[in-house]
Amino acid sequence: MSLSPALAADLDAGRRKAAACVACHGPDGNSTNPTVPSIAGQVGIYLHWQLLLYRDKRRVDPQMAPIAAALSEADMADLAAFFAAQRPAPPAAAPAAAPDPARADTGRRLAETYHCNDCHGRDFAGREYAPRLRGLSRDYLVAQMRGFKARTRGDLDGAMTQAAQPVADADIEPLADYIGSVK
Amino acid sequence: MRFRTFRFALSLTVVVAFVLATGPLAAQQAPPSWKQGQPKDMESSSLSPIAQPPAPKAPGEIPVDKIKVPSGFKVELWAHGINNARAMTWGDRGTLFVSSRVAGNVYAVIDKGGAREVKTIAKGLNLPNGVAFKDGTLYIAEIHRITKMEGIEGKLDSPPEMKVVYDTLPKDAPHGWKYLAFGPDGKLYFNIGAPCNICVPPDTHANISRVNPDGTGFEYWAHGVRNSVGFDWHPVTKELYFTTHGRDWLGEDVPSDRFDVAAKKGLHFGYPYCHQGDILDPEFGRGRACGEFAAPLLKTGPHVAGNGVEFYTGSMFPSEYKNRAFLAQRGSWNRSQKIGFRVMMVTLRPADVPRYEVFAEGWLQGDQVWGRPVYTRQMKDGSLLIADDYAGAIYRVSYGR
Repeated sequence: MSLSPALAADLDAGRRKAAACVACHGPDGNSTNPTVPSIAGQVGIYLHWQLLLYRDKRRVDPQMAPIAAALSEADMADLAAFFAAQRPAPPAAAPAAAPDPARADTGRRLAETYHCNDCHGRDFAGREYAPRLRGLSRDYLVAQMRGFKARTRGDLDGAMTQAAQPVADADIEPLADYIGSVK
Repeated sequence: MRFRTFRFALSLTVVVAFVLATGPLAAQQAPPSWKQGQPKDMESSSLSPIAQPPAPKAPGEIPVDKIKVPSGFKVELWAHGINNARAMTWGDRGTLFVSSRVAGNVYAVIDKGGAREVKTIAKGLNLPNGVAFKDGTLYIAEIHRITKMEGIEGKLDSPPEMKVVYDTLPKDAPHGWKYLAFGPDGKLYFNIGAPCNICVPPDTHANISRVNPDGTGFEYWAHGVRNSVGFDWHPVTKELYFTTHGRDWLGEDVPSDRFDVAAKKGLHFGYPYCHQGDILDPEFGRGRACGEFAAPLLKTGPHVAGNGVEFYTGSMFPSEYKNRAFLAQRGSWNRSQKIGFRVMMVTLRPADVPRYEVFAEGWLQGDQVWGRPVYTRQMKDGSLLIADDYAGAIYRVSYGR
């Protein structure tokens, strides 16, 4: 079975086409803007599906909608393959405050409670069918979890929407703090 | 006294602060549905569902010559570039309508003599696995509703609006996608799967249901059906035959998926109490007996993921193929040695067990999967189309000539 998301993807073409993406997603897809996800080293299949979700208006975002609408099938394959192949950088900005160990412990226990690692991998590195969460900003993670819980965040097969339903509102921020701090 | 109250308030504050700092003691939640029911001793298993590719394969990446069929038959790549191609149904004027699941699309494939043109007629839908056609109207089943497009074949480039036929349906994603077909009684039949791997489902789930094409008269037809996404009616007896995906995490070789007949309304097929007709569920089977439930007509194999069911009614294939059922098996994930990824055929025999044999295989090469056959549909000339949702392609199997 091929692990390649984009079966005929062209990495060089992806690099050229990515020039427009890095304005928001950062160099090689390593974002420094907490509201924009880092996509360097993200699971390629996931990236490709997200572009399709944006294009088909199943995932709604005012910035991504016009961008995805203009992409061809080949563009999506090339871009997904390019960003999947980039090396994720450690967060550029130091955390504002030293992580609170008790809060981190809470987050770790919540991740177990809600079975986050079952799909996202033991170290949140992602798998073929679930995105990498390591390296995503806490703010982005909070926004996604709230969206999944409210059933407004586009979802390929409904799995994450379902997983988010039992998550207590008060648990979302500690979870995001923890996942966002995993090195 | 005042002092003591203050001390009490202080200690309460400390306790509250401690609870806030360590977080609420949330109860352990259910794992994701694909992992639910996994026993402790399988916790380290690396088995997980096969990810759906986001794009169809190019024709050059589809090794049609690897598909083996019986002597005298031949296989060709009939259509490609159909992302996540699933169920197929014919329009009156010869348009092939093709569903998808996670791709969210419905397609129209037009045969232009030697080449096929593919149009996307609906997109952004909620796992629209079911398509059925009657009297000029295309019916589409998503997880939460059944809709229709009237006069679609004359409007493929500007499809009509999707009018709701029936939307009083559960919204659960796991096993919520539907197969959809017209029965001989003119009613629309579809499945509502169990919202889990293994659980006692609400009465509204784990069934095959039917509704009139105008949305009235909803009723359950069969119960205790975990996840059936394929059925057809026998050409002679007009009885409903269906496949069911069995539960996961019970072992490599159990339980078997099943092929059943629901000849009358109201039968219970055992889920979640009894699997494959003779194995009580280790958790939910206590105090039950398999004899309480309808036994499978045929055990089709563990984890094979039987989807499509279609009785052969054409005249192109040899005469012994008449009224045989083709079962398209999308293939396993919950088994270390992969199984399925093939089209089987079943010959029903009076007073004997059905004969069960391979019709087409080769999508699995060793441990490598390059395609997943998921539904079949006969062509007017009696040849058989096979949809592959992994390669995003449709093959045509023909005989002789």
